[in-house]
Amino acid sequence: MDEIIKVKNLEFSYSLEGTKVLKGISFSINKGEIVGIIGQNGSGKTTLVKHFNGLLKPIKGDVIINGKNTKEEEISELSKTTGYIFQNPDDQIFNNSILKEVSFGPKNLKFTKKRIKELVEKALKLTGLSAVKNKQPYDLPYNKRKLIAIASIISMDGEIIIFDEPTTGQDYLNREIVINIIKELKKKGKTIIVISHDMEFIAKICERAIVLKEGRILLDDSVQKVFMNKKVLESTKLKPPQITRLAQKFKRIYDGTLTVEEFFNQMYK
Amino acid sequence: MKENIIEFEKFEWQYGNNANFKILINDLKIKKGSFIGVIGPTGAGKTSFCYSIMGVIPHLQTGEMKGSVRIGGVETKNSSLSMLSRKVGLILQNPLSQMSGAGLNVEEEIAFGLENLGYPRSEMEKKIKEIIKLFELKEHAHRSPFELSGGQQQKVAIASVLVLEPDIIVLDEPTGYLDPLSTEIIFNLVKKLNKKGKTIIFVSHKFEYLNKLCDEILLMNEGSIVKKGSPEEIFTNIPLLKKNYLGIPEITSLFNRLKKAGKWNKEFTASVEKAEKYLKEEFPWMR
Ligand SMILES: Nc1ncnc2c1ncn2[C@@H]1O[C@H](COP(=O)(O)OP(=O)(O)OP(=O)(O)O)[C@@H](O)[C@H]1O
Ligand SMILES: [Mg+2]
Repeated sequence: MDEIIKVKNLEFSYSLEGTKVLKGISFSINKGEIVGIIGQNGSGKTTLVKHFNGLLKPIKGDVIINGKNTKEEEISELSKTTGYIFQNPDDQIFNNSILKEVSFGPKNLKFTKKRIKELVEKALKLTGLSAVKNKQPYDLPYNKRKLIAIASIISMDGEIIIFDEPTTGQDYLNREIVINIIKELKKKGKTIIVISHDMEFIAKICERAIVLKEGRILLDDSVQKVFMNKKVLESTKLKPPQITRLAQKFKRIYDGTLTVEEFFNQMYK
Repeated sequence: MKENIIEFEKFEWQYGNNANFKILINDLKIKKGSFIGVIGPTGAGKTSFCYSIMGVIPHLQTGEMKGSVRIGGVETKNSSLSMLSRKVGLILQNPLSQMSGAGLNVEEEIAFGLENLGYPRSEMEKKIKEIIKLFELKEHAHRSPFELSGGQQQKVAIASVLVLEPDIIVLDEPTGYLDPLSTEIIFNLVKKLNKKGKTIIFVSHKFEYLNKLCDEILLMNEGSIVKKGSPEEIFTNIPLLKKNYLGIPEITSLFNRLKKAGKWNKEFTASVEKAEKYLKEEFPWMR
C-alpha cells in the first residue's frame, strides 16, 4: 500500500526550555485513509498535524510526507500536498472577500486560470458559499467562517487534507455540509485527517482513530475498537456516541455498534 | 412563586445593516434560578437573544429596538452596560474574542473582571486559585492565553466569567472546542452555580447535556422562540426538530426506528439511561 504520511519518533516542544508537547510519536497513514485524531485538550493533536504541512518541524525524529522529509522542504512545497484547515478560522482568513480568500491558495500554487476557476467554484459549491462569495469573510458569522476556511484549503486540491475540529459550534445543517465535503474528498481518493471532540462525527466518517494523551499515542485502532476499549476511554474520559454507549449496556448488542441501524438490525435480524 | 428575573415584552430588534433579519420576542418571562437551554439552527437569533439579555443590544450594536427587556425589573435600554455586567455574565463561542486584549497571562486574565468589581485581594486570590485548579489550568497560569491550545483558551474565557458568579449567566455555545471531560466540568460547574440560585441561559448543540440539566428548552428559529418545552418533550419530537433543521438525538432515532417497525408504541426518550431502562423492561430477552 501507498504510504503517504510517515511519522518516526517525533518529538516537539514550543521552546527550548519548555516541556515536550510531543514525546516520541510513530505511525503511518496510507493514501486514501480517513483517520480521526482524538484526545483531551492540550494532548498535542494540533501540534502533531501542524507537522504535516511543515508549519512546525520536529526537534527529534522525522515526518515524511509523500516520500519527502519535512525538514528538507519549504512550507510552500509542502502546502502543495497538505492542506491544513485551522481550528480557529480567524487564524487563517486574511483576505477581504470570500472569493479572494478561496482563490488565494490555488493562485499561489500557479495553477492555470481554468483550473483555478474550476477548483474555486467547486469549493464554494461544496461549502454552500457560492451565493455570498463577494461578501467580506467577517460579515459572516463564526461558524460560516469555518466553512470559508475549509473552502480555501480544499480549493488547493492537495493530496492530504487536515480538518482541525471542523464541526465545532456547527448546527446540524452545517455539520452535514462538512460530512458531505469529507465524503466527496474521499471519493476523489484524498487522504483525510480529522481532529474532533465530536465522537458521533468521528464514528460517522472515520475508519481508524488515533488517541493521543499527553503527547503520546495511547491507541491506534479501528473506531469500533477504540470505543470498546474501556481502559483507554476511562483514562482519556472520551465518551463514545450515545448509540454505542447504549449498545454497551446490552449483552446481545455488539459493543462496537456505531449506528442506529446497526443497533436495530441486531435486535431484529 | 419565584420572581421573574428576565422579561421580554413586545421586544423587536433589527440590526442597522441587515434588513433581512429581525428578532421578535413577544412575551418571555424567565424565573430566577431557572436553567434554560436554547437551541436552534444557525441564524436563528440565539446570539442576538444573548446580546439582548446582556444589553449588548441595544448599547453596543446599531439598530432599532422596540418593546422592552427587563433584567431584575430594570429596562436594559435605561441601564448601562457596566450596570448590567454586574448582574449578567456573557460567555461567547469564540474564546479569543473574549480576552481583555491587555496582554495579560492566564491568571491575570481571570482576575481582570474581579478587579473591576473591586473584590478584596485575599478573596480574589482564593477564587482564582479554585477555578484554575478546577479547570486544570494550573500549569498554564503564567502563560499568555495566545500560547494555549484552542480548548485551553476556551477554558480561560469561561473561567473569567464564571469566577464572577453573576446572577444571570449567559453561555453562547461555549464548549465547542472542549474535550468531553472539560465539557462535563463546565456543565457541572454551571449546574452547581444554578443550584446556588443563579439563572442560567445556555445555548448549545450538545443536546445530551441540555436534556440532562435544563428545566426548560427554548427552540429558536428565524428570530423568534418557536417552541418552549421540557427537554424530553423537545428532544423526542422528530418533526419539530426536522422542521427547524436540528439534529435528532441517536436515542430518539432508535425509538423512531422501532416504532416504524411496529415494535414500539410507548413514549420516546432521548436519554441513554432511560432508554436502557425502557428497553430492558419491554424486551427482557435483550438483557
Ligand atoms: N504557540 C504555542 N506556544 C507554546 N505552547 C503552545 C502553543 N500552542 C500550543 N501549546 C501547548 O502545547 C500543548 C499541546 O497543544 P495543542 O494545541 O497541540 O493541543 P490539542 O490537542 O490540539 O488541544 P485542543 O483540543 O485544546 O485543541 C498544550 O499544552 C499547549 O498549551
Ligand atoms: Mg487543537
